[in-house]
Amino acid sequence: MISNELPTPGSEARGHDARAGGAAPSARPMHSIRHGIVVAAWGFFDWLAVVSWTKLVLVAVLAMVVAGILQHPLPALLLILASVIIKIVAGGKRRAELTAAEATRRADLEQLERTVLEARMQALQAQIEPHFLFNTLASIDQLIQTDPPRASKMQRSLIRYLRSAMPQMRDRARPTLGQQIDLCTAFLDIMAVRMEGRLQSAVAVPEGLKSAAFPSMMLLTLVENAIKHGLEPKAEGGRIDIGAEIVDGQLAVHVHDTGVGFAPMGEGGVGLANVRERLRALYGDRAELVIDLPPTGGTRATITVPYEVSAGRATVQ
Amino acid sequence: MNARPAPTAVIADDERLMREQIAAQLREAWPQLVIVGDAANGREAVALVQSLAPDVVFLDIRMPEMDGIAAAKAIGERAHIVFVTAYDQYAIDAFEQGAVDYLLKPAEPERVARTCERLRERLDGKPRAMDALLAELSERLQAGGGASRGYLRWVQASVAGVIRMIPTSEILFFRAEDKYTRVQTKRFEALIRKPIKELVLELDPAEFWQVHRATLVRVDAVEQVSRNLRGNQVVHLRDTDEKLEVSRSFNHLFKQM
Repeated sequence: MISNELPTPGSEARGHDARAGGAAPSARPMHSIRHGIVVAAWGFFDWLAVVSWTKLVLVAVLAMVVAGILQHPLPALLLILASVIIKIVAGGKRRAELTAAEATRRADLEQLERTVLEARMQALQAQIEPHFLFNTLASIDQLIQTDPPRASKMQRSLIRYLRSAMPQMRDRARPTLGQQIDLCTAFLDIMAVRMEGRLQSAVAVPEGLKSAAFPSMMLLTLVENAIKHGLEPKAEGGRIDIGAEIVDGQLAVHVHDTGVGFAPMGEGGVGLANVRERLRALYGDRAELVIDLPPTGGTRATITVPYEVSAGRATVQ
Repeated sequence: MNARPAPTAVIADDERLMREQIAAQLREAWPQLVIVGDAANGREAVALVQSLAPDVVFLDIRMPEMDGIAAAKAIGERAHIVFVTAYDQYAIDAFEQGAVDYLLKPAEPERVARTCERLRERLDGKPRAMDALLAELSERLQAGGGASRGYLRWVQASVAGVIRMIPTSEILFFRAEDKYTRVQTKRFEALIRKPIKELVLELDPAEFWQVHRATLVRVDAVEQVSRNLRGNQVVHLRDTDEKLEVSRSFNHLFKQM
């Protein structure tokens, strides 16, 4: 995998310059002039390789006119002659190289698109855990016998949860933070009935932020993780706090649990890796997932994304 | 006239509603069975089996502290075990193959009745040993739950006064610096106390290569390897300008490339 990316020492400078096409990465000042000339030469060479003959003739005529005005036609004539020879001799090869580079770039793009699609597929599969669904249905079944009003309430929470978690539902519109909070609240309501005193939760999200765009299902993944890896392993349970704020113009949404903390050897949830992957696919470097251990205890997961009010035309996901 | 005392059972499930549901269904299907205890996790279940010596124990698979499989291992042949689960496909397959008793939540009354029937027949016999099956199941439960596969996946580091959990997948390289080890990601650097020689043992060797006594690099972040003026190999990484020297003893890593 690495081998074909490792040029021999001799070919290094060339590969570098040809690719840079003007953006000089070198930081050594003594080389910068020579480097500039090399870059310019390769730039000219690339241009020669791809430019059409008509354009080349046009530029040649223009150069001759300028040279004629300057009364030095010979250098210009030589340059034009050299250009024509270079274009004939090396142009084809160079053009092929450039085409190959373009193909590689396109392949990279396709690879990225595939990754996005795969991440999305994984996200779809990761949701609506059958274990959660069957356990919840079993709880409702029991409540129907013992406490019908509560059974009905729990069933309505399940319906709310399913409405927002169903793939068709969640891919339809541009998701907002408000929708994602509603989904998490439905989930937490259900878990509170099941876990009873072992789960407390609170949501502190300013009303104004609820219309902000926020990718679907990610917050739920954080909440599920907090319960599965944080609170469920703990006999006495704990609490989950969800909050959102604007930090440096970015929307930061966090899920803080008072659970058992983190197992550095463990996989730590495929869910988190999934969230990270999807964030990268959707926003590149403009979003991130940070896990930290606050001094007050437990684990806090924070997703930071660009702050966009959902009325915008850009589509997220 | 029957000298045998009433059969007894313990129910273990972390959710009270589920314990009540199983108790209610057992009362229907087997009125003579006395529920002598309730446990909310595996450890409690084992303790109750020890103190109350029930004939039967109903064990939910997913419980805090100690899961149902681990509890069953600890209980051994001291009670007849019936597993309870909402959905654990691989466990269900194993139970089917090993003819182990299990109930699916929510359980159908006929199914509960059939399970009770089988238990009544077996009550006078010794509970069966199922060590091999349990060993296999607990391994698969771990793997399925994404638990430890043995390698370090997260590094705990202090970044700007906050303790962060950094996934190793984000780390470009580790480098020993004085008493600390520097962790470099695309976005930031942090210091940890764990020395390189410990990290070498804990990280996945397919993910990180040691290229120097003081340096571990992420394999798939390597962009190219060149030589410096002294003729040593130097590793260039994606997403950072830093170049890392390869010591001679690790030259073989980048041979024939």
